[in-house]
This record gives sequence, structure tokens and C-alpha cells, in this order.
Amino acid sequence: MTQEEAISWIADMFNEPAENLTPDTPRDSIPEWDSLGVLTLMAEMDEKFGVVLSDEDTEGMTKVDDLLQTLRQHGKLES
Amino acid sequence: MPLTKTRSAVIKAITSCVPSKYFDNVKDTTEFDIEEVKKVVRMAGVEKRHIADDSICSSDLCISSAKDVMRSLDWSPESIDALIFVTQSPDYFLPSTACLAHRDLGLSANCAAFDVGLGCSGYPYGLWLASMMLQGPGFKRVLLLHGETPTRFANSSDRAVALLFGDGGSATAIETSGTNEGNNDWFFSVHTDGTGYADLIIEGGGFRDRFPADKKSCFVHMNGANIFNFTIKRVPSLVEETLEGAGISKNEIDYFIFHQSNRFIMSHLAKKMDLPKEKLPMTIGEFGSAGGPSVPLTVVNGGLSRPTGKALKLLLLGYGVGLSWGSALVDLSPEAVLNHLVLDTDN
Repeated sequence: MTQEEAISWIADMFNEPAENLTPDTPRDSIPEWDSLGVLTLMAEMDEKFGVVLSDEDTEGMTKVDDLLQTLRQHGKLES
Repeated sequence: MPLTKTRSAVIKAITSCVPSKYFDNVKDTTEFDIEEVKKVVRMAGVEKRHIADDSICSSDLCISSAKDVMRSLDWSPESIDALIFVTQSPDYFLPSTACLAHRDLGLSANCAAFDVGLGCSGYPYGLWLASMMLQGPGFKRVLLLHGETPTRFANSSDRAVALLFGDGGSATAIETSGTNEGNNDWFFSVHTDGTGYADLIIEGGGFRDRFPADKKSCFVHMNGANIFNFTIKRVPSLVEETLEGAGISKNEIDYFIFHQSNRFIMSHLAKKMDLPKEKLPMTIGEFGSAGGPSVPLTVVNGGLSRPTGKALKLLLLGYGVGLSWGSALVDLSPEAVLNHLVLDTDN
């Protein structure tokens, strides 16, 4: 998956226009990325990539790039 | 593989019971922003919840249910050999709630009665215990009572739990067929991971912290992310090992009855395990998450199609607090009596 594809996937997941998102977009500015959004993210990561996120993983994410880094660490995103 | 097989136990009747007072999450919530509430309702699926007031305990819901099954089966109090009460919301620390039920049902001094302190996994565990008790020559009839009042230990300002919980009770009448012949094999798989004990916990009020300075510690605390991870890790393998141990395919299961934890999580599990939606009844919209009793509530109220002359094969699944999880692969005969009660409360 390329970074562009990943950002498009994140945008779909949190109902945001993809053009609004960059790696530097803070989590706080994405309304749907709240505590319920975290469950959606965890389910999507499990279903799409077979990656189980821990509580620490999700709490440590403060911007889009943190999620991109997690995808990279699991080999799901082209470096 | 920790799979147990029992023979000869039969479910004769199940009655579920909820308090009459109910709460419409969208219409009645004042604690949270309405848009937030709608979002939670959409995701978790909890539209309405039946809630006990301060005068209703799980024992009240279960005893009403037990009286109903005894009446419908014409079981005399003297004929009941054991009463198992599964709950994490007992009336008292002591005596056991089973003893209160024993008194109210007029059971005999020869009846064994005891509590089991399990929550979300309680129904499969309770059926496992009951059917094991019926393997020997002594016991013939067991009443399994399973009830919870989680709304009474949820902090109404904690969004993680306040909109989810409902209260409910149940009674299941189980009898030995008296024979090891025929098709009465039941299968159980039961598990525990105590390292997750703090993921769903009421820290205060027990003997570890008898009179906590912070009263909030007497409410339940849930680490939603850890519980979610536990569920998606444990439930699919639980289903798989039960089916494999029983030597049947998932196509042979008429209904998968999940503990009604959260619609989003149940749907995710169903998708992950490729289970058809029509085999996964949901009652969370009507009753909320009533803990372990949501399993018998769903057997009774889940709209199960029951053709005459054919027993249903049910895979019952409980998972959560403990962390504890278990399955029961059982038959529900067409003769089994299912009933639902609403216990009057002052609305």
C-alpha cells in the first residue's frame, strides 16, 4: 500500500475528505477519530491487515503519521 | 484441548425476565451530547435498555423466572436436586444468592444451592456445571439461574458503559433424560486468562478495598480496547475448537448465540468467522448488554425459528470479565418451553 492509498483508507474510515488529510494532521482535528473511532480503527486493522493494536498503540497515536508509522512497522506500507 | 462432553442433559424450559422500567438511549439521555449518543447507539446497537431501580436485584429477576419454569413444567420444589446461581451482582456478599432463591422457591433441604461468581461467560459455564452434575446417578433436575443488574454498578457519567448496560435475569430448567442413548451429547469449552482481571473491574467495595475513599471505585471500570482485543483474539478460536471437538461444521449450527456485548463487535466477529447474519440473533437493541444473561435472553427473545420435530443445535458463547470465556454446544428440543417475563417496577 502506498502512502496515498493509506491516507485515502484513513479518510474513508473517519469520514473525512482525503484532501484534508496529511501525515501532519492532528488526531484532534478528525472528529470521528474519537474513542468509538478507535474501535473502528482496531476492527479495520484486524480485518484488513490482520494487525491487532494494543491500548498503548492507539493511545500513542496523536496524528495521521503515527498511524502510517504503525502500518510501516507491520510491513503494510511502502517505505 | 479443554473440551468436555456430557450426555443425557436436556433443557426443559428457559424463562427470561427484565424489569419493566426502560430507558430509550436517544430520547431519555441527558448526561451526554445527543449527537454523541446517536453515534454510540448506531455503533453499539443499544436503542433501549431495561433497567432495575434500587429495589430490584438480579435475584428478583431470576426468582420470578424460576417460578415460571417450575409452573410451566409442573416441577414440584421437592423434585429439584440443585440450584446454581450465576451472578456478579449478588444481593449480599454473604449468604449466597442461591440460598435466598432456595428459600423463595421453597426448595428442599436435600437441594444443593450455590453461587458461581462469573459474568459474561456465565451461561456456558453454568450449563457445563449443571450437565456435569447430571452425569451421575444422583441428581435428576437442576435449576440454573443467571442474572445481572449491571446498570446498578455503572457510573451514569461514564460513556464507555453508561449507554450499554441493561439488566436481566433467567432461569433454565435442566433434567437428565435418564439414558446415555440417543442424541443428547453436549460439548463445552471453558477458558480463563486472569492476567486481564483489571480490564473489567469494580475495584472498590470488596475486601481488597472495603470502604474506598473514592466512591467512583465502586463503579465498574472497563478498558474497552483491551476487551475488544481479547474478544477478537479468543472468540473465533473458541468457536473453531468447539466445532472441531464436536466433529461438526458451522453449517450444522442452527444459531450462534453470542453474549450481546456490542453490535459492532458481534458483527465484526461474524464477518471474521464468516457466519451468516441470519444465524446470529441480536437482542442488544431491546435489552442492551445485560452481561451473561444476554445469552438466555437471546435464546428466548431472538426470534429463533423452531420447526416441529427437530431440535435446534445452538452454539452459546460467553466472553468477558475475568477474563473468562466459554462455549456450550447444546440441543434445544421443540418441546422446550421458552417464556419471557417483564417484572413490574415503579416507573
